[in-house]
Amino acid sequence: MSEKRKYKKRFCKYCESKVDFMDYKEVGALRFSLSERYKIMPRRLTGNCKRHQDMITIVIKRARAAALVPYTVTRTTVVTAPFENLR
Amino acid sequence: MRHYENLVIVKPTLTTEETLVSIQAIEEEITSRGGIIATTNAMGTRKLAYPINKNERGYYHVIYYSIAPSEISEIERRFRINEDILRFVTIKYDTNREIAAWNKLVEKAQKPTSTPAEEAPIAIEEIPVDDAEVEAE
Repeated sequence: MSEKRKYKKRFCKYCESKVDFMDYKEVGALRFSLSERYKIMPRRLTGNCKRHQDMITIVIKRARAAALVPYTVTRTTVVTAPFENLR
Repeated sequence: MRHYENLVIVKPTLTTEETLVSIQAIEEEITSRGGIIATTNAMGTRKLAYPINKNERGYYHVIYYSIAPSEISEIERRFRINEDILRFVTIKYDTNREIAAWNKLVEKAQKPTSTPAEEAPIAIEEIPVDDAEVEAE
């Protein structure tokens, strides 16, 4: 237990605001569950509950298919496409 | 009949008239198969998160409609043949919760389209009024 947690364990943010449905077109709302490299953040770091984590994974994958969110960000693409897509 | 949503990315190389024509053709494909379009939402040209077929930009268009589930495969097959479409995403709204969300999304999409249309003529009307005053002075 002496090891420091990188992120504080939190309660599910989506349960608190009672989110029933997520829209994949609202990219700004997905930002909470995405890392800097647009990876889906794990549940142990964000504190999301299982139900909402399942919802957000589906929504993020849809947004990736619709080219709203990138699949991968490498060093070269970081320069050309910074965070301007997520507003 | 089931509720669906289709996001279509049209090629950015087309002119504005050509995109309108191609979008009309896309919508006709749905209506000709017995689909009822609830609303459409033009998100406009925006940058893609990653290039698709060497295109950096794309024209986003969202269509909310309800149609018999058996027709979806045919519509998707048609979309794949259509060369104007870079990418399409079809989403099914099946459960009660999702249908409620679909209704909300339709309402949301209808509101912004109605308000700018009302505001725009007023803005145009205001300008001639100012001109008339200037001329009168």
